[in-house]
Amino acid sequence: MAQQATASAKPGNEAKVKDAIEHLRSATQDLHKSISDAAAKRSGVTKADVAALAEKTKSVVRSAKATIDTQKGNVAKHLTDAVKHLEATQANLSDSLKATGTTLDTSVKKGLMEARASAQKISEAVAEKRAANSAKTK
Amino acid sequence: MRNYIAAVFDDSRKAYEALHQLWELDGSGDITVHGTGVVHRDELGLIQVDTKETHPVLGTAIGVGVGALLGALAGPVGAAGGAGIGAATGGTLGMIADLDRADTRQEAADETGFVLGVGQSAVIADVSEDWTTPIDSRIHKLGGKVYRRPRSDIRDDAWYSPAYPYGYYLYPYEYVPPPYAC
Repeated sequence: MAQQATASAKPGNEAKVKDAIEHLRSATQDLHKSISDAAAKRSGVTKADVAALAEKTKSVVRSAKATIDTQKGNVAKHLTDAVKHLEATQANLSDSLKATGTTLDTSVKKGLMEARASAQKISEAVAEKRAANSAKTK
Repeated sequence: MRNYIAAVFDDSRKAYEALHQLWELDGSGDITVHGTGVVHRDELGLIQVDTKETHPVLGTAIGVGVGALLGALAGPVGAAGGAGIGAATGGTLGMIADLDRADTRQEAADETGFVLGVGQSAVIADVSEDWTTPIDSRIHKLGGKVYRRPRSDIRDDAWYSPAYPYGYYLYPYEYVPPPYAC
């Protein structure tokens, strides 16, 4: 069971790495939430919103890339996929900064879909990591 | 194992309590939650999905996905109704007029009623779990009933269609709309 794996995880690098993936997951969930909130605004998303989201995405991409280097196998693969979606989020938000009206909204929505996909991939990495830790303790 | 679950309750507040419990189990590492959503079936038999009302296109996808997934959770018998109920939900959200047909809604109500009855609410989730006890015990304690199917089974079903994007309408974090937030 994953909780037992968590409780019995060895201190040191492994524990730090696990924390890094879970922190990355929280950051990506938060990014998705922020884009979703901006997209749901009745008054419409503003350039200032998009600029802040683009910065946030940039920071999450940086963290994700750093985390991949510490992982192997399927966990690394899921994280690599997540980075691709995060980069696509970033690209869509950059497009939004140059757009207006419907084009702006569409780019933000595309960014939202990509952020959702990246959150899913990171969740898969977390599940993979927890399952591996659980198997080790059995 | 990766599963789709539906935890069904008579009370919508209990569904939100269950949603919170699922994310709590995720936080403790007992399960991994990939996405969640909460749906209600009103007195007319229509499925309402709690969302942030983001985009018409996304809204329609949410409706179709939820309906198809409810059908999938009911097993192969519920599959046809699932597709129908998805269409009905799209209609409920007012996104596509063609889908808002009374006969489609009725068919959906008849065929998937055994998963989500009139007046009931459900939390739907995509989860990875090593065993079913953590979720089952929490949901039963809240008075709910759990429906569960492996994700791979659903994808292997002959009627499965990528047109019903299950994974794309579930929130990847705990989302509680204002009327239910404490």
